[in-house]
Amino acid sequence: METMSFLIDGFGVALAPHNLMFALLGAFLGTLIGGLPGLGPANGVAILIPLAFSLGLAPETALIMLTAVYAGAMYGGRISSILLNIPGDEPAMMTCLDGYPMAQKGKAAEALAISAVASFMGSLIATVGLILLAPLLARFALTFGPAEYFALFLLAFATLGGITGKNPMKTVVAAAIGLMIATVGIDNTGVQRFTFEILELYEGVDFIIAIVGLFAVSELLFFIEERAGGGKAKMVVNKLKLSWKDIRDIMPSSIRGGVLGFIAGVLPGAGASLGSFISYTLEKRVLGRKGNFGEGDPRGVAAPEAGNNGASSGALVPMLTLGVPGSGTTAVLLALLISLNITPGPLMFTQNADIVWGVIAALLVGNFLLLVLNIPLVGIFVRLLSVPPMYLLPIVTMVAFVGIYSISNTTFDLYFMVAFGVAGYVFRKLEIPLVPIILGLLLGPEMEKNLGHALEISDGDWTVLWSSGLAIGLWTFAIVGLLLPTIVGPILRRRMRQQVGVAA
Amino acid sequence: MAINDRIFGVLMIVLAVAYGWGASQFPEPFGGSEAVGPDTFPRLLAVVLALSSLYMVVRPDPDNAWPWSRTGLELIIAVVVLVLYAMLLQPLGFILSTTLAVGTLCWRMGARPAKSYVAGAVAGVVVFLLFNFALDLSLPLGLLAFLEVS
Repeated sequence: METMSFLIDGFGVALAPHNLMFALLGAFLGTLIGGLPGLGPANGVAILIPLAFSLGLAPETALIMLTAVYAGAMYGGRISSILLNIPGDEPAMMTCLDGYPMAQKGKAAEALAISAVASFMGSLIATVGLILLAPLLARFALTFGPAEYFALFLLAFATLGGITGKNPMKTVVAAAIGLMIATVGIDNTGVQRFTFEILELYEGVDFIIAIVGLFAVSELLFFIEERAGGGKAKMVVNKLKLSWKDIRDIMPSSIRGGVLGFIAGVLPGAGASLGSFISYTLEKRVLGRKGNFGEGDPRGVAAPEAGNNGASSGALVPMLTLGVPGSGTTAVLLALLISLNITPGPLMFTQNADIVWGVIAALLVGNFLLLVLNIPLVGIFVRLLSVPPMYLLPIVTMVAFVGIYSISNTTFDLYFMVAFGVAGYVFRKLEIPLVPIILGLLLGPEMEKNLGHALEISDGDWTVLWSSGLAIGLWTFAIVGLLLPTIVGPILRRRMRQQVGVAA
Repeated sequence: MAINDRIFGVLMIVLAVAYGWGASQFPEPFGGSEAVGPDTFPRLLAVVLALSSLYMVVRPDPDNAWPWSRTGLELIIAVVVLVLYAMLLQPLGFILSTTLAVGTLCWRMGARPAKSYVAGAVAGVVVFLLFNFALDLSLPLGLLAFLEVS
């Protein structure tokens, strides 16, 4: 019941007029960002962080706005999947399978509305799951000592590539690079490390600059290389004809998808792509011949949409309770928390209870807003998304510049951002994942602190790191998480591609 | 061919060695050396990076093609534009530098030049007004400072 009263307080925060306004703004921007070519949710949230800062928003307002962006981006990803058969981001891939055939049959508006309802259900289920699970996990996490935390951080890195990841060694390389960048600056004993006597480096590398550079600027370079400036085909949406019966028909699929997605989101290494994949596959199994999957079955749209939205809310569980994000976007949200001087993890539930519950309530409110926003406004979104990337990406880059510039009003940060952009481009060419770099930057200081504490307690004995049962368990999971994708990954990827291939 | 990963791996090994050496040069913290110093974690990272990079050298993945010739040139132009944008933001002011930078980028990405610069100018003015008046954050006016109404 304690939870209930916290949640009510949370609603008090989330429903405050200015917070509600920023949630609405975030939901709108998020949908746009999610739908835009090449601008995934992580990217979008990253570009908006500096703005949230320079606006001097209160921590809870900033978080609420960006949570709404996050939820909105998940909604937006489906628009181009359905209308053009081009997934806006990876998790939206499964939505193409039945969404595009529906659009071809002239039922684009219905497909969009169904996916909005299913997304809402998925998020709703997952948010309820979050409310129930998060406090428990937070309480459990209080028993963690420094050694366990160190192992937990390793687990986060190991599973970051996800079950569909490619070369685990490259994840290790990326993580090491990120952690190394995190060590630049004056450490807590006052020693200067790798600052090369450059004043701007004394306080370390600002991870927001790194994130925006690595994601947004490298995206621009990629677009230039692919000469994809011309944009997509014209999108058309018919007039919506949706009855209550249609909505009732997709409810069971949405609920199943939402539950599965939530589980996939909470588990380390699974993530939204897997969430939507298993939801779709299960739906096909359950309904079998009764459905015409692949030919525009509405339930084939509902299940993966509920799955990927469920997963994205589920992914907030480890981020909020343990301070360990499970995906790129939650990593970026973690960046926001850290820069707001909030230490995520179990203590946040007691020390910053208003913020945590405000955010959770904001998720519920945000999803409701999205549903309301999406059904009538889908036409506007479609029109905005038809702006060709050759205009859009330069403007997005400019927004990134303004954001970074307005944090400190110096051009040094801008050069740094461009340098990170070029580095990001090279990394992506070499298929070195960017998210572990970001995570390294974010978790580096905490990781070092916990390692230090653990070794101090044991007086320099390294075996302390794997001396408790819990720590051994975490290490085992980390190793399995790192190595499993090399075996399972190719099979799973092939399966996903097969499904998509059959439908195309 | 799998030369990219090899070269990158070698570069990273060099980085790891340099980084590890750098860590060993840290001055001893006040109060003498203890079990954990400022160099403990960096040393660990250097070892991890060296080993994982070595793996990249030994077992490289197949290459992705680099864009040489024209596309490569376009990329270099884009990077130069971004650097110039950063450099000129304060002296030229936000509106002018944005017009130039966004305009050039749009143009190089395939839009018609006139349309590109108009898009750049509109974006610059809109964002400037939004920031200065709605959000109360001042962006530099630069050469257009004479327009200031205060």
